[in-house]
Amino acid sequence: MTDEPQTNGLSRRRLFAGAGVAGVVLGAAGGFAGGRASASPATGVDPSDTVDLARSHEFYTGTHQAGIETEPQRHCVYMTFDLTTTSVQDLQVLLARWSAGIAQMMAGRPVGTVDPDRGTAVPQDTGEAYELGPSSLTVTVGLGPGVFDERFGLSAKRPRHLAALPALPSDALDPKLTGGDLSLQACADDPQVAYHAIRDLARMGRGTVNTRWTVMGFGRASAGKGQSTPRNLMGFKDGTRNVKEPADFDRFVWVDDAAEPAWMRGGTYQVARKIRMDIEIWDASDRATQQNIFGRTKAEGAPVSGGTEFTTPDFAKAVGGKPAIDPRSHIALAAHENNNGIKILRRPYNYTDGINELGQLDAGLLFISYQNDPAHFVTLQRRLGSSDLLNEYISHIGSGLFAVPPAPKAGHYLAEGLFT
Amino acid sequence: MPTPWHKTAALATLSVLAVGALAACGDKDSDTTASGSGATKGGASQVNVTLASGGSGDECTADTTSVPAGPVTFAVTNQSATGITEFELLQGQRIVGEKENLAPGLPTVRFTVTLGGGDYELYCPNAATEKTAFKVTGEASASPTGTAAQVLAQGTKDYTDYVNLQVDNMVTAVQALQKAVDSGDVAAAQKAYAEARPFYEKIESDVDGFVVPGGDPTDNHDNLDYLIDMRGSNLDPAVGWHGFHAVERDVFGAKRITASTKKLAAELTSNVRRLATIAKGLTFKPEDLANGAAGLLEEVQANKISGEEEAFSHIDLVDFANNVEGAQQAFEALRAGLTEIDPQLTATISKRFDAVTTMLDHYKDPNALGGYKTYTPALKRADANKLSQTVQALQDPLGRLAEKVATA
Repeated sequence: MTDEPQTNGLSRRRLFAGAGVAGVVLGAAGGFAGGRASASPATGVDPSDTVDLARSHEFYTGTHQAGIETEPQRHCVYMTFDLTTTSVQDLQVLLARWSAGIAQMMAGRPVGTVDPDRGTAVPQDTGEAYELGPSSLTVTVGLGPGVFDERFGLSAKRPRHLAALPALPSDALDPKLTGGDLSLQACADDPQVAYHAIRDLARMGRGTVNTRWTVMGFGRASAGKGQSTPRNLMGFKDGTRNVKEPADFDRFVWVDDAAEPAWMRGGTYQVARKIRMDIEIWDASDRATQQNIFGRTKAEGAPVSGGTEFTTPDFAKAVGGKPAIDPRSHIALAAHENNNGIKILRRPYNYTDGINELGQLDAGLLFISYQNDPAHFVTLQRRLGSSDLLNEYISHIGSGLFAVPPAPKAGHYLAEGLFT
Repeated sequence: MPTPWHKTAALATLSVLAVGALAACGDKDSDTTASGSGATKGGASQVNVTLASGGSGDECTADTTSVPAGPVTFAVTNQSATGITEFELLQGQRIVGEKENLAPGLPTVRFTVTLGGGDYELYCPNAATEKTAFKVTGEASASPTGTAAQVLAQGTKDYTDYVNLQVDNMVTAVQALQKAVDSGDVAAAQKAYAEARPFYEKIESDVDGFVVPGGDPTDNHDNLDYLIDMRGSNLDPAVGWHGFHAVERDVFGAKRITASTKKLAAELTSNVRRLATIAKGLTFKPEDLANGAAGLLEEVQANKISGEEEAFSHIDLVDFANNVEGAQQAFEALRAGLTEIDPQLTATISKRFDAVTTMLDHYKDPNALGGYKTYTPALKRADANKLSQTVQALQDPLGRLAEKVATA
């Protein structure tokens, strides 16, 4: 992509076919191109799925924060923080400064000067995203349970469902990858733009927050409305049945509950899970095993009960006296048909941490979901954690739950209602 | 520790220019022995401070807590307090005078300062009561007035006194180290090493980068910082290993004092003496203090929290605390002027310094070498993250100081 002709400034547009680039990234990281898919390389390439680095999203919508319903961008950096202050005013100032800074960066502008007039001055913006364009950056801010503990006197304003997630089956959580008082999810089509946002917001927060854990996601692993379905690092399409329609967002994602505090209405709850994949072991499993575990075919992503990608799975269908879709398969356990109609918005990204101490590729899924009640995630994960065939290949090693306030209007800041 | 030798050499060419006329250090008497004549000047008030172990731990008591304005001589005697090794006279956060390495049974040490009326504190770290109010009656010293630039200039003079005090103490402490090494007693040499380190660490950013007068700035044979403070990891093979850390290697690593160790210790004394001659002539601009303070915190981040500075003795937290003290004294010297320029930044930096010093208090250990816990690999694993992030929160606002004071 660096061979594309470039011009400076926000008007620059760099357009390229997205699926092709994603394929290169996935192939380089995992090296699992399947024979069937590679025999017809054009399969799945959607010429309309492009990236426009001049595109920007609005921060001050006054409704929902960006980065939730927003079609997933190509890259995402996620970080959580611990508050080191006990002053409610420090928290208020931080949220106000973060709001203003996020609005600037989402518009493709630096936060303060990159190149101060005086040599003795320290540049306010770190500069690495200068002239890169907005790249569809969104930064989504979440408030953890700690914001409402005894430190800040805000317990009366605690969102109804904000409490640490319960212990869930198969949890293998590392305390160093769990929790946090605040979360930032920065997604963009240019990874440097996403990283710059996190870096400069962390810098703004120093003295008020300490960094806690982070995941650098690459390659979206879910589809928004109008996007083709991408693949996770197991090589399977992820998010075929994701929440996409506005009516479903209203029903499953946005908080619209009179029992919730007013400042939280129009917000949502964010669940973040760092899920490690044992990809070498997965890569040694045969196609039939892989398809049985997911309940979908590898290349097309159709339910193994038949049809094409978007055919509704037929959980009742039996072949030779056995269910066509294994009841312990991933899609059977997660389907809303089998969970009292519950749906959650999944917005995950693939990640890699390089190589682990055993020399294995250290990679997995940065799972992020949004729902108007975290109990919906808990319900699904209890079932998945108990009996999902996939559990042999994955471990949930990190976790966090955050209340995501609605977006402010211009002239206001995130979660302002907490302080008034 | 210094920057790698090739970089240091380049810096050194500039620093030769910083050597000005010898600054007088008239209001302080650095006599460190009781038998020294002239410990009292005519008309100076006398304050006798006694350190002794008592019913509720080590106690620090003064025979008077109120004196009239003018010259005041403090005589500090450690009778039996093993936990107290230091005495300071504070005005706010500023150290007006101090004595370190106070061991029970050693002769009384004295220092004389000229004090204006106002509220001070006697500070004995690790005493049962660490701080005692101390009142000076009468006329306050003329508080700095005038433009911010004039107030800042006054602050740099106060800071010069602080640097000179550290330089004198450093020479004394390095002589004591040489004596302990010459005695062949490894334990005594270890203790003397830990007691000698703080002074260099407090003013490191002011005194690093000097070359021997008339020396070649591109040759590490003439680079005093190299000769005094080089670690084993960045050696110039043409010059070899000298200075504090070469002595550290022998007395903490090999735990053996050889003829070569004695030679290294003698050489260190002579190089520190050469450095003192240059350092006593330094004059500072306000931005030198700001950059120096920022430089000391960079030292903390780069070499102390990583545990690389004191690879054999693991007294990194002693160096850490002294880097922070040096940075804070530079900031305090600028505070009056900076308050006029940017009160909010001043308040922020002050608050962040408090956060760092409060954190460091948890690591104090009067039984450990240098008064702070040994920085073991286990302690580093558990606490380096917290140490680093707390210092980083101070570094950011401190980095903005130089611009503020340079343009005043």
